[in-house]
Amino acid sequence: MTATTKIIRKPARTLADQSYLLEVVKGLGVTLKHFFKGTAQLVSGNRPDPVKEPYAEGVATIEYPDEKRPYARRWRGVHRLTHREDGSPRCVACLCCSTACPAQCIYIKPAEYPLDDARRGYERYPEEFVIDELRCIFCGFCVEACPCDAIRMDTGLHMTALDNRASFIFDKAMLMSFPSQDNTFLSENPRHEPGDESHPGIDRVRGGH
Amino acid sequence: MPTFKLDDREIPFEKGETIIAAAYRQGVEIPHYCWHPGLSVAANCRMCLVEIEPAAGQRAMMLDILKWDAEKNDYVVDRKPKLQPACQIAASDGMVVRSESSANVKQARAHVQEFLLVNHPVDCPICDQAGECKLQDYWMTQQRTFKRMRDEPVHKPKAQPFGEKIVYDAERCITCTRCIRFCDEVAGDHMLDLRERGNKNEVVLAPGRALEGDYTLMTEHVCPVGALTSSHFRFRARVWTLKEVPSICTGCATGCNTWLDYDPREQKVYRLRPRDNEKVNKFWMCDDGMMSYQHVHENRVKGARTGRGSSEALGVDEAVSRAAELFKKAGKGKVAVVLSAQMSTEDNLVAVELGRQFGASFYLSAKAPWRADKILRNADQNPNRAGATAAAMGAAVGSLRDLMATAGEGKLAAALVLGSDSDVSDAELSAMGRIADVVVLAANEGPLTRSATLVIPVASVAEADGSFVNAKGLAQGFKRGLQLQPEGAPGWQRVAEIGRAMGLDLAYKKFKEVRAALTVKVPTASPDAPAASAAGAGTESHA
Repeated sequence: MTATTKIIRKPARTLADQSYLLEVVKGLGVTLKHFFKGTAQLVSGNRPDPVKEPYAEGVATIEYPDEKRPYARRWRGVHRLTHREDGSPRCVACLCCSTACPAQCIYIKPAEYPLDDARRGYERYPEEFVIDELRCIFCGFCVEACPCDAIRMDTGLHMTALDNRASFIFDKAMLMSFPSQDNTFLSENPRHEPGDESHPGIDRVRGGH
Repeated sequence: MPTFKLDDREIPFEKGETIIAAAYRQGVEIPHYCWHPGLSVAANCRMCLVEIEPAAGQRAMMLDILKWDAEKNDYVVDRKPKLQPACQIAASDGMVVRSESSANVKQARAHVQEFLLVNHPVDCPICDQAGECKLQDYWMTQQRTFKRMRDEPVHKPKAQPFGEKIVYDAERCITCTRCIRFCDEVAGDHMLDLRERGNKNEVVLAPGRALEGDYTLMTEHVCPVGALTSSHFRFRARVWTLKEVPSICTGCATGCNTWLDYDPREQKVYRLRPRDNEKVNKFWMCDDGMMSYQHVHENRVKGARTGRGSSEALGVDEAVSRAAELFKKAGKGKVAVVLSAQMSTEDNLVAVELGRQFGASFYLSAKAPWRADKILRNADQNPNRAGATAAAMGAAVGSLRDLMATAGEGKLAAALVLGSDSDVSDAELSAMGRIADVVVLAANEGPLTRSATLVIPVASVAEADGSFVNAKGLAQGFKRGLQLQPEGAPGWQRVAEIGRAMGLDLAYKKFKEVRAALTVKVPTASPDAPAASAAGAGTESHA
């Protein structure tokens, strides 16, 4: 079998090509076209939303961090501790989340309510609740494990870059200061407070036997 | 030995033994709540129901029942054999008992389980028993259905303090009366009783009483559910994060067998539980013994240091070589070796060998006697007085008081002291000042570390293997749970290092070598000796 040879010729280059000047001007033209188009859109205010219409004509750049893509509702962001109606945490310090945590980044110190508290015996509460957000791998197991809907990752926040390690240790007050994406500190799931009429845990005196 | 048949196993039994007890001895568990091998039979939980086939020539006891017929969509009259509690029926030769193999038994157990859970709050997330709860275990193995009752459960008092150490939750209680029977039969004090009946039934304190005495924590331990919880352990840890090692209580010379429960991540001991041993503590422990785990973390010697006024921190290696220099300077015959009744026989054996090669005289440091009783507590507060004495291999072992007398005469130049406990008054102990150099190897700070010129840290019971000989002469080994603390080492290892630095022949590098030497030299004090290991059998835990 004889070898076949294909000869590729160099494209003929004119002076205009060789000088590059014309091409530079052409390129600038494209840039300027988009510049003026984008400026006109910005000034007139009818710019297509790059998040919702990513393939629309015009500027496709998201001006992060001024503009952000909205996260999916199930996206796992920084944890928050949900509140009860009275502002205390829903958490009963059962340690299920710290048990489930594969990164072992949750530390909880459970405590007992005082003798005269309506919740004593029915619940305990976290005296300390600390998450090391540097250790956390954002797997969401803690949220799955929680029997009280007390820990959620629906804040829509991702970890800010902070300049020292100690700042990544989030304590109870910090974790309770984040609202959800819907800007609420509560959770959709209802709960019955001990001492409420609706709570099953009425004691013998109030229960009438 | 006569036998009966349980499902397809032949179970030997002794005359008068119940079915459940004989099966338990063979390692076959018949589900139960109220039965406990160390307590009388109450037969009130009905969980251990079994089907016993009638003896030849006798009719089976049958019950008329209404059985649901799915085809007819109605109840039909049927008969089924009457079940009997295995905890109350004495086994007889050739008896045929059907437990797991009987559909009637399985159904009965599922229903008993559902009945016990009818008013249960199911607050497992905040219950300390979760993870070792019989209600959880048997729900998984016997029930696996939801309860059908849709009414509001009966409510009862919760988190009631029963004395200082125990908290009672009546809603979780299944009124098996184990705690009441324990107080009556073992502690010998009727502090608890039942009140009301039916679903209002609950355990109460006897009027005017609190749960007090030396055996209150055991009521929590015998409780098969989370009704009684210990206020020390309450809310502190989850049992599924804990690991256990077989250990020996250091509280007194009884040498109760224990499980040491510790968290491997935190390297922290959380509790001691009794480990069943028919020969020693049966199933029980006293409160002081169960709380003795606290010594593992409290008041520890943190690092090597100088003593008597100065407190200069040293590296352990430097402390060891400095100790060796001190003893060499003191010279043969002018050194006392103080053994410890609180440290393992292995530690003491190596100290004895060092002392013998250096012509030292032997003494014993120990804690002063405490309150004894007829149940478990021995007057001698030291777990290993017998072992330390035996390790001296016939050499005379004086008391600390003898040491003070000798020291007062100015005959001693240096002392190697194991342990920090003293059974003499601080005034008497001041005679230690007459000994120029006192090297103390101890896990915890104590009277003797205060009079030391050089303190070297050693491992506690939780951090090293070892063995104790109890008051009855039974040698029992314990296992290492925690990792060594920084600069920590078992006592025998530090003593051997000092000996080698002094140029003595103490080649021990591994624990196995020390234990082997102990078995050869003092077989009565070694748990590895054939006679001793046969006597110390029994490692089952009955929670």
